Amino acid sequence: MDRRDFLKQIMLWSAGITTAIPSFQIVPEILAAEKPSPLVSHATGKDYHKLVAQVLEPLGGISKFVNTGDNVVIKPNMAWDRNPAQAANTHPQVIKALVELSLDAGAKKIMVFDRTCNEERRCYVNSGIQEAMETVKDRRLKYFHPDSRKYVPVDIKRGKAVRQLSIYRDALEADTYINVPVAKHHSLSRLTLGLKNSMGVLGGDRGQMHHNLGQKLADLATVVRPKLTLIDATRILLRNGPQGGDIDDVRVMDTVIASADLVACDAYATTLFDLQPEDISSTVAAYNMGLGEMDLTRMKIIRA
Amino acid sequence: MKKKRSKLRNWRRLSQILCFILFLFLFIKTDYAGKDEIPYAVNILFRIDPFLAATASLATRTLIFLMWPSLIFIGLAFIFGRFFCGWVCPMGSLLDSCNNLIPHAHKGPVSRFHTLKYYLLGFLLFGAFFGLPIAGYLDPFSILVRGLAISVYPGLNVLATTFFTFTYQQMPEWINLVTEPVYGFLKATILPFRQNHFELAFLSLFILLLIFILEKLERRFFCRNICPVGALYAVVARFSMMRGKSGTKCGKCRNCVTLCRMGAIDEERNISSLDCNFCMDCVDLCPANKISFTFQHDGTAVPAFSIKRRTFLSSLAAGAVLPFFLNTRTMAKRPDPFLVRPPGALPEDEFLGRCVRCGECMKVCIGNGLQPTFLSGGLEGMFSPRLNARTGYCEFNCTLCGQVCPTGALTELTLAQKHVTKIGNIFFDKNRCLPFAKGIPCIVCEEHCPTPDKAIQFREAQVLNSNGEKVWVKQPYVIDERCIGCGICETKCPLPGQSAVRLTSAGESRNPQNALPAQSTLY
Repeated sequence: MDRRDFLKQIMLWSAGITTAIPSFQIVPEILAAEKPSPLVSHATGKDYHKLVAQVLEPLGGISKFVNTGDNVVIKPNMAWDRNPAQAANTHPQVIKALVELSLDAGAKKIMVFDRTCNEERRCYVNSGIQEAMETVKDRRLKYFHPDSRKYVPVDIKRGKAVRQLSIYRDALEADTYINVPVAKHHSLSRLTLGLKNSMGVLGGDRGQMHHNLGQKLADLATVVRPKLTLIDATRILLRNGPQGGDIDDVRVMDTVIASADLVACDAYATTLFDLQPEDISSTVAAYNMGLGEMDLTRMKIIRA
Repeated sequence: MKKKRSKLRNWRRLSQILCFILFLFLFIKTDYAGKDEIPYAVNILFRIDPFLAATASLATRTLIFLMWPSLIFIGLAFIFGRFFCGWVCPMGSLLDSCNNLIPHAHKGPVSRFHTLKYYLLGFLLFGAFFGLPIAGYLDPFSILVRGLAISVYPGLNVLATTFFTFTYQQMPEWINLVTEPVYGFLKATILPFRQNHFELAFLSLFILLLIFILEKLERRFFCRNICPVGALYAVVARFSMMRGKSGTKCGKCRNCVTLCRMGAIDEERNISSLDCNFCMDCVDLCPANKISFTFQHDGTAVPAFSIKRRTFLSSLAAGAVLPFFLNTRTMAKRPDPFLVRPPGALPEDEFLGRCVRCGECMKVCIGNGLQPTFLSGGLEGMFSPRLNARTGYCEFNCTLCGQVCPTGALTELTLAQKHVTKIGNIFFDKNRCLPFAKGIPCIVCEEHCPTPDKAIQFREAQVLNSNGEKVWVKQPYVIDERCIGCGICETKCPLPGQSAVRLTSAGESRNPQNALPAQSTLY
């Protein structure tokens, strides 16, 4: 949309000639051309704890994202009653490393939580994340089960498939929201990555998200906006996702991917599964809404 | 006046309080606590119950090893009579604690109802042997724990949550500085982890309340007249070594006769060991200090059961004959398909014979899947556990219900056994399931299906949606050999109201008569 078009629409609307609410939609191609190409960093190694600091280095380190005195939400995927080797949840070492880096960066409070699919306590324990959190001896770290009173209804103004969602308050109010999904197979959305991981901050009946899932996830991403997305691909689940359970379905990749651009991060992660970004409907929907880049040729991919 | 004996009933009170605290502690600990095994013997109250041990053993014609601790208490009853009722029983302690709140119509020695408990005991024991498993309807611990687990405890949580939601949403910040830590503390200590919901919550509460309402007639009405555990102890207590002995030349105050909570003291001040629960009130409150408890009881009257032979024999006959009528019902031919029993449940007859309706499995079920059965298991199957998969499911990696079952009605399964124990099978209702009926993508069921090789699979198919457009959708179907009947698909089905995928008992491991075509081994 250019300036003339914009003014024309405003005039028509103000004069009541058109009753259609002007949609100031930004065409993604133009947006992409205007924005500098997003940085996607990936790193490979056996020491998952070190790997996290390593992958953040090209992006400017954790201090680029976490400032002194910030309230930080670190949102892993620990939705399933599965152990770390089964690759259904984010690796506990990855979460622990992020927590420790954020603490060093001067965060005031760090919150780690997820709304699980299996029984809450079993998921926290079996994912190994609770145990990893217990070893961090710092009172600024809070890991807890979501409190049902703290979901607030949020209007999704730019939403195409949903108008309102109930979202966890801490996720909305955080200074820094860090999205830490695990990359894995999912039968409906093919893969679950960064966009899908945000479902863990939703209240209410999440099953209905599944009808037109891709667009609804993109709608959700208009209000829950991670400053940093770090995809855990240390081991990836190739089949029987999203919860797996069979070690034969797991491939060890020893890789993590990070970017400030959620869509770009998801787009790059598809290549680990020999898929294309276009194969994932949420990635396409989010790109079309101008939420990030999905064209692999237009991002700066750095091996850290 | 001598002072030395004035403390006896305080010891009894201390014992009651300690036992009740222990009872509550174990009740709260009947929950998942971060480990696959529960570290406490949370079901111990039922395992020391000789009445339930007797009925469950009679019903299954086996000695149930799990219940060996009840022998200790039978042994103790040979020495101390019904001391359990006065010093240990949590139900009795609760009734005692309400003594001042509920005025009693009748005070003094036993009323005409007091033989009822022997008839009931005979009826229940015979019934258990011949196949009428209803001991849990009258066992005081079953009534108590079931009422607490299904009704009082979840109710307490509703109360707390409502209050603290109100303070959180409506009250100023400074009040929240106080209330939120209090709520956090309560949640970490006594409140349940999540809000559970139960069928028959009101019925369970009402039965529990009824015991308190009966207190209006006379003190410890239930214990004196109904309690089958008390009746069994009374039978043993006839031979107990320690007994109360009143003085011979006492005055005419009759204090002891009216204050005895069990009505065990008659007009001649004989203390009947059948009813005395060793509360020690009479010892402490006798103005002349004439009453004592000793091992020497020559000269004291031998207590009589004073039951009518004809009535007693009739109750035994009823217990022996009624069970045969159970098989006249259609459910003997084809059981309710939605009666899905928990994993590890024995075959139905043996299961009901052992199940004491204590509600422990429902209390511990972390998916809130186990519900008390109403009538689908027959009149004799009420309050036995069933999986209602629409409101809760069986967690794949959880084996807690088998761990807490005091009688082995639910076998304790290892995780590996649990993973292959089939409690039922699901079917899809294609008239409701969205990809079939409306051409809307969904397969939430497939996502949640927990078997490593998913029992729910899907086929891609092209269908017309409600706009008449041709769309490709993934349509779910089930592989019977893989489905273990956990029911998570039915719980999570996003349709409002009835689920499009439903769990039935078809194919359950415990019943070969209920085999699916794929498993049929009969022909």
